[in-house]
This record gives sequence, C-alpha cells and structure tokens, in this order.
Amino acid sequence: MAPSSSKAASPPPAARRGAGAPAAGVALVALAAATLPLVTRDSYYLDVATTILMNLTLTMSFRLQVSTGQINMAHISFMGIGAYASALLVTRVGLSFWATLWIGALVAAALAVPIGSVALRVSGPYYFLITFAFSEVVRLVFNNFLEGWFGGPSGLVGIPKPDRLLGLAFEGKLELYGLMAVLCVGVALAFVRLEYSRFGLTASAIRQADLLAETLGVDVFRYKLTTFVLGSFVAGLAGVFFAHFRQVLHSSDFGLEPMVLLVVFTVIGGTGSVWGPVVGTVLMTIAGELLRELHHYEILVFGAVLILTMLWAPEGLVALPATVRRLLRMRRSKDARAMGVGLAP
Amino acid sequence: MSIDLLVQALLNGFGLAMVYVLVALGLTLIFSILEIINFAHGEFYMLGGYVTYYVYALFGLNYFATLGLAIVTVGLAGVVAERLIFHDLRGKALNAFIVSLGLLWVMQAGAQLAFGVLDKPVPSAFSGIVRMLGLVISLERLVVTVCAIVLIVGLYLFLRLSRPGRAMRAVAQDADVAALQGVNIEAVSALGFGVGCALAGGAGGLLAPLFAVSPAMGALPVVKAFIIIIVGGMGSLPGAVLGGLLLGGVEGLGTLFMGSAAVNILGFLMVIVVLLVRPRGLVGGA
Amino acid sequence: MRIRGGTAAVVIMALAAAVGTATPGATQDKTLTIGVLGPLSGGAASYGVELVRGAEMKVEEINKAGGLKVGNDVYRIKLVSYDHKALAADAATAANKLVFQDKVKYIIGNAVGATCNAVQTVTEPEKVLFSFVCWGTNNLGPDKPHSFRAMLSQWEVAEPFYRWVKDKHPQIKRVAAISPNDTSGKDTNTAVVKALKGLGFEVAADEYYERGTKDFYPILTKILATKPDMLDVAAAPPGEAGLILKQARELGFKGPKGWTAGVNPVTVIGIAGKEAAEGVWSPANINVKSDFVSATVRRFGEEYERRYKEVPGVIAVANYAAFDVFTKAMQDARSLDTDKVLAALTQKPFDTVWGKLVLGGKETYGIDRQFLYPVVISEIRDGKVVDIAQVLPTALKK
Repeated sequence: MAPSSSKAASPPPAARRGAGAPAAGVALVALAAATLPLVTRDSYYLDVATTILMNLTLTMSFRLQVSTGQINMAHISFMGIGAYASALLVTRVGLSFWATLWIGALVAAALAVPIGSVALRVSGPYYFLITFAFSEVVRLVFNNFLEGWFGGPSGLVGIPKPDRLLGLAFEGKLELYGLMAVLCVGVALAFVRLEYSRFGLTASAIRQADLLAETLGVDVFRYKLTTFVLGSFVAGLAGVFFAHFRQVLHSSDFGLEPMVLLVVFTVIGGTGSVWGPVVGTVLMTIAGELLRELHHYEILVFGAVLILTMLWAPEGLVALPATVRRLLRMRRSKDARAMGVGLAP
Repeated sequence: MSIDLLVQALLNGFGLAMVYVLVALGLTLIFSILEIINFAHGEFYMLGGYVTYYVYALFGLNYFATLGLAIVTVGLAGVVAERLIFHDLRGKALNAFIVSLGLLWVMQAGAQLAFGVLDKPVPSAFSGIVRMLGLVISLERLVVTVCAIVLIVGLYLFLRLSRPGRAMRAVAQDADVAALQGVNIEAVSALGFGVGCALAGGAGGLLAPLFAVSPAMGALPVVKAFIIIIVGGMGSLPGAVLGGLLLGGVEGLGTLFMGSAAVNILGFLMVIVVLLVRPRGLVGGA
Repeated sequence: MRIRGGTAAVVIMALAAAVGTATPGATQDKTLTIGVLGPLSGGAASYGVELVRGAEMKVEEINKAGGLKVGNDVYRIKLVSYDHKALAADAATAANKLVFQDKVKYIIGNAVGATCNAVQTVTEPEKVLFSFVCWGTNNLGPDKPHSFRAMLSQWEVAEPFYRWVKDKHPQIKRVAAISPNDTSGKDTNTAVVKALKGLGFEVAADEYYERGTKDFYPILTKILATKPDMLDVAAAPPGEAGLILKQARELGFKGPKGWTAGVNPVTVIGIAGKEAAEGVWSPANINVKSDFVSATVRRFGEEYERRYKEVPGVIAVANYAAFDVFTKAMQDARSLDTDKVLAALTQKPFDTVWGKLVLGGKETYGIDRQFLYPVVISEIRDGKVVDIAQVLPTALKK
C-alpha cells in the first residue's frame, strides 16, 4: 500500500524504482572498498578507512531509525554494550571473537527492547532528550560502576584481536580492514533492501505522517521498535569490532562526542536517502583527518565547515545535485515562479 | 546525619539554582520562538563570563555596570548569530542541531585562541559570610541569587506587559496565527534569540567571580539547563524555576549520600521519569 | 539517484588515495620529526596546549643554536602535534598518523590516561618511544618497554610528601582527599590513601567530583562534616583546585591544605585568593618565579610568558625537560635509533631544569621508565610560592 502519488507530498524516490538497481549501488561501494588495498597498504590510510567503514555501519543504522522519525541519541550506547560484552566474554570466559561478534550484537539488541519500549512512549524532541538521558546513564555506568567488569575511569585494556578463523589470522591492519569491509557491505546490502522493500516504504510513511500511517492500519509502535532494535543490533556489531580493533575501551568512546559525530555524518550526508550516511561519513571523516594538519585550529575550522555545509546544503550533500538543479530551473523560469512554484519537489 | 547538615546541603543545592534557571530560561525561550534547540547556548554563557573578566577584572568598571554590559553585548551577539545562521532554520530541528554544534566548536575554539587556555580569575564583588542558625551562606552567592531573581522577574514582566514581549508569546504559541495578526516573525525571532542569549550571558557574568572563566565553562550549565527545562516543562517560566529548585535540591542532598557519578545519574533518571510520566513537564502546558 | 551516492563514495575514496600517496618534497637538511599528542580543545585543553608549548620552546632553542648534533650529523627538529580531544579512539588514529604517515620514531608528550593506553597499542608494536604525563598506573610496565612517564606521578610523590607532613606537622591526624572522577583522579586518590594508611594517618574522606564542576559546596559540606585536619585537593586541576580551596574557606575550613598533584600554583592563587591559598603545600609543582630555582628555569619562565602571555605550569616544564632528556640521550647514543637511545636513557642521570634526573620506578611499575627528580615541597605564603623542602628519590641518593 504505497502512498498514492497524487498527494501533495510526492512519494519518496524509492517507490518509483525497481529492486535491482540499489544492489548495484552496494556493489559499487563493495568494489571501492576492495580496490583501496590495491592502491595503498599504508597503515594510517587503512586505519582511517577501517574507521570509515565502521562508522558507516553506525550511521546507516542510525539513519534507519531517523527514517521513522527517531533521533536516537543512545545509538552509541548500544555500540558500547556490544563492545564491553564481547571484551568481557573473550577475556574472562575465553569465547572466540567469532562467537562474541553475534552474542555482543544480540546483547545490545536484547537491551534495546526494554529501553526502546520506554523511549518510544514519547516522540519528537522528547524522544531525542530521553534517549540522550539514557545514553548518559549508560556512559556513567561504564565509567564508574562495576569497576571490576568495566574498568572504571581507566577503562579496559589488553583486549585481544580476533582469533583465527579457518586458518586466516586477523593480526594485521589489512585483515581487519577486510573484515570490517565484509561486515559493512553486508549491513549496507541489508539496509538497502530494507529501504526499498515494503518495510522501508512504511517506515518512510511513518516518518512523514505517523498519525496518518496509523489510520491506514500501520502499527507505528511496532515499526519504530523494530528499527530501534535492528539498529541497536548493528550498533552492537560495530561495537564488538571496535573493541577488538582498538583493543582498548573507555567510556568516553561511547559518550556524547562520538554520538554527535554520527549525527553530523548522517545529517550532512542527507537523511532522505540511504546513501546519505555514506557520503556524509566518508567526506566528513576525510575532512576531519585533513584538518588535523591545522593542529590548534582543527576544531574551529571543522565547526565552520559544519555551519556552512548545513546552510548551503540543508537537505544534505547527497541531495545537493538535485537542489542545485531545482535552483537553476527556478532561475530559468521566472514565470513559473510567478505562478507559485517553490522549492518543494 | 544532623538536621543542620541536611538543611545546609539543601541550601547548597538551592544556592545557585536561580542562575541555572536563567540559563534554562534563555534556552527555552529560543526553543519556544524558533522551535530549535541551540546547543551553543553554553558558549553565550561563556561569552558573558569573558566580557565580565575583561571589563570588570581587567578594566575595572563597576560590577553591576559590567553585568549590564555583558547582558547587552551577548544579546547583540545572539541577534547576529540568529540573523546570520539560524533564521532560516525555524522548525528544522535536526539542521539547527548540526549548525549550533558547529557554532559551539567555533566559539569554544575561538575563545581558546583569543583568550588563552588557562582559567582566569575574576575578583569577587562581594565577600563575606553570613552565619545564621548554624548555616553558612556566602554573601556573594546571596547577591548573585538576588540578581538572578531580579532578572527572572524582569523577564516575566517583559513577556507579560511589553509589546515585543507579547509578540514573542504570540509567536511561541502559534507562529502562523501570529503572522496573520501582523506580527513581524523575523523581528521577533531575532529579538527572541537575542534575549535568550542575553540571559545566558547574564548568568555567565553573575557566576564569573564565583567560578573564574575558561573557554569550556559553558558545557556543564547547558546540561543543567536541559534537565531543568525538561523537568519543569519547555516553554514555561514558572516550570523552569521549579525545575531549577528541584534539580538543585536533588543534587545538594544527593551529594551527601552518594558519589558524584551517582548524583549525575539521578539527574538523568529524573529526566527519564518526568518524560514518561508527564512529558510536558511538571508545570508545562502550552 | 541511488547510484550517485555509491559513485560519489568511489570517487572520494580514489581521490583520497591519490592525494595521500603524493610524497612530500625531499628535504635538503636532515630533519628529525617528533610527534606531540594531547587534548588541544575542550575542557582538558590546558594540558595539551602546555605540552605543545613546552616542546616548542625546547625545539626552538635547539634549532636556533644550529640544530641537534647527533654523531656526525646535524638535524633540524620538526614538531608535529595533533589534537585527540581527550577521546581514546581519536588518539589511536592520530598516533597511527604520526607513526605511519609522519614516520615519527618519538612521540614526546601526551595527557589523559585513557588516550595513553590507546596510543600504546600503536607505539609499542612499532617500537616508537612514547613519553607522556598521564598518571594511570597501568600506563607503565614491562610489557610496554617503550613508554615513559616524564613527570612525577602521585606514586612517586604521595609517600615522601606525607612522610614530610607527618614529620613536620605531627598534629595532623585526619586527612580528606578530593579528586576528579577520571583515571588520574582515581589513581591519585588511591596513591594518597595508600600513603596515608601506610604512615598511620586516618582517611577522613576519599571523594570524587565530575570534571568541570565549579560548585563544590555540596561535596565540601559532606567532606567537612567528617572533620578532617587537612584537606588535600589531590588531582584537581588548577582552576578547580582554586575553587575548592576558596569555597572550603568560605564554608569555614581553616586547617592546613595540600595539593599532591598540583600543576600550576599561580592560577590557584589567582582563583582561590590570597587568604584561601595561604599555606597550601604542594610536592609536585614547579614555580618558575620562585627564588629557589635556577637562572635557566627563570629564563624559561620569562620567555614562555613573553611568547604565550600565560604563566607556564608544571606540564609545560615537564615536556620541555622531556625534550631535553631525549635529545641529550640521542647525543649520548650518537644515534637516532630507538634501541640505542633507550639504552642511553637508562645509563646515567641527566642535568635538567628539575635538577638531576634519572630513570627509575622498578619497584612500582616493574620497569625503570619513570623520570625521577627531586621532589620539591612548596608552600604558598602571602600569594607567593616558596620552596621549603626537598626530598630526593632513592635512585638519586647514591
């Protein structure tokens, strides 16, 4: 039951396409990820690329939640839950990374059910604030409580890298990069298919007008909770990888600063498209790394870049070509403007 | 645990609550009029602190005159920020979030580069301790609280009685209807943002002699402000006052019995409970 | 539309790879690149900025004098500093950049405990010498032979300090300690409590506050209710330490005060006010304006203030001294090879702004990687910092 195209707000571009093309987009990203190691084996570039891929899984899952109208500020907390869960299971219980990868994500998803159910009792800015409050509570717990488990303000150190799988070792930067690439592409594929499926259309309808969607028979709460839990599962997955990639965990890795960066990547990229987070994460991470050269001025310039980008590309960078075209069209047809054509698509 | 101790703890908590209420009121005013949350609000508080440092501590102008100057200067800075950056973002919460984040970084890093990175002391305008009934009340904090109350009452009267104030309330209630009635939304937005920042700047000036000034000093007051307006209710002045007292009381008493992290968690739990039980806040209605 | 995002991603990654693999221009003179990490923004910025400034001052001194002569070569030192914003993950990436892109073999300067652990995951496997001022206990160890702490930590200082207190001020029996709630705060309070218990003091209170707090009335009310004889602001940074002292006085505390992990006494005096700062003992800071320091230190302080318009704290001096020690070790080793320099570092004492300095700490950390120099106990008198006692670490007593 796709929203009818005769309504004032046209349906999301998704509805007009078929299902095969998005997979091609994922294939392109997979190809890009695969070619990087052929171009460079530099440890620093691999490190940045691995971080980008990891952030991609986080921003894509965050964006899934945003597509149902949820700005979930606790997203990073579920990354932390997965991370600490895996770190503890591997170092204390002796489980293999390949098991804790899924267990950690499941723990995150399991905790997402009660937290999400509570958070979803409110919406809009209140939802934003309640998830922020939850994320601070989780961070404070990691930082100060159960020190025997979480390491207190000093954090956890000495987390081992992933153990061997089918004879393949994961000690080097290249192997870890490869692992994250596989995870990321898998997640991207899942999300792209979801976006263009019935689930995705319904989610988009909810974001645009949830009361209306409800009258059309959509169980809004169930959809929102599903995206919350699903997103948290993926965040947990990223968290497990993070723990064994960096080998050091600290509560600050799961606090407001990294969460805010995820929001920045997603919004700057554009929340309207499943590719928004990809563009945003890649471009802003690279910009951030380039800005390191400015030492003292890094944060100042980064802030200015944020302001300017948001003002010039309010719908996100991924929508920039479309916005520019519309502006040009408006310029060319003054009559159309006189008739009342505006910036709406 | 003696009664004296408990009362002193409660008093400690209330002591500076009114100043944080000022910060909260600025935030909630901006939210009501422009429907956005300004994450850089704490940086305007910081600006007020530095104006006070340079004009009062270094230059030597009378403290109250400096306070007035801080309020006006930061208010103007707010108007400039609104005109340059925020006015197109009315209602676009997510975009405003990113933009205000960028502004936060620009202002904080800029302050560090311009003013230096160390804490700068500001001499107390009033010193002395008042001791009564076994309780300790610092004269400085008493004066600061009184000033904050004066500003809060001033704001209340401004919103209730003056034309621009009533225009702001109209826009806060329903911008479209207000526009139809001839209210200049652009002017009200700019003024509202300016007044909101001015309140933060005033709070910064009030607390500068107590706490010294540093580029990152705006971070904590803004978190408190958020908790206050959620608990009290967004858009409600009496709600903010109540929220401030509640938060202050909880923190003051809580510190007696538990560690600082637990007290912090308590504040956030308060937020969660209020959002679940009465999302509009204890007093919030509109 | 949906493919565009994917295409953009490909183009961007290709561009990035192309930009990155372009090599910098070849150097004419020999250059020695040394890295500095730290929080250059946010609440902890004063640590990072001081680290960079201390480094800059020493490097400029060396370069102005014609460069660093190591063996038969002369090197111009180039400093590369990055901001890790006090985030562990950021520090790891920045360390990767320093080690693999800037190709440094020495990272001299870092602060904030959690970031030290993160950087070590990069520097230890690559045998990069890493010197920091982080106070985390687990930052040094036999499993981290390339890591050094360039500044006395609470483990070196708490015991001699309280031994002196017990000796000179036997009327003090109950001590209360307060620190920020993070790695250095936790470790400092732990060290202080251990020293106190070992020497027979009573621990009246062992409290923490969230970094960034300015209103200490609630926590001071709790602490003062335990009736301590002495208040130790332990690991509180200068701004917060000054506020705690000021507010403690307002609340009626007039007893002796200590600052076990103090770093910048001048700021404390400014913020606490002369009255509240009167009599504060501190075993860890250096006062560049004191009558007791050498002419070199005085000059360093004046030059620093001229350049940066702010008074240097202990961390700036510490990194200045660290650069001094490492470059001298390079000269002793007649090589930039990290194994040889490592050996040279542990050979003999060095003459630095602190006085005689030697590497030690095996009893505490299992390996000699802690810079040890005389512990100078100072007291604030009438708004000025006065050195009143000196305690030599055992390693220097020979």
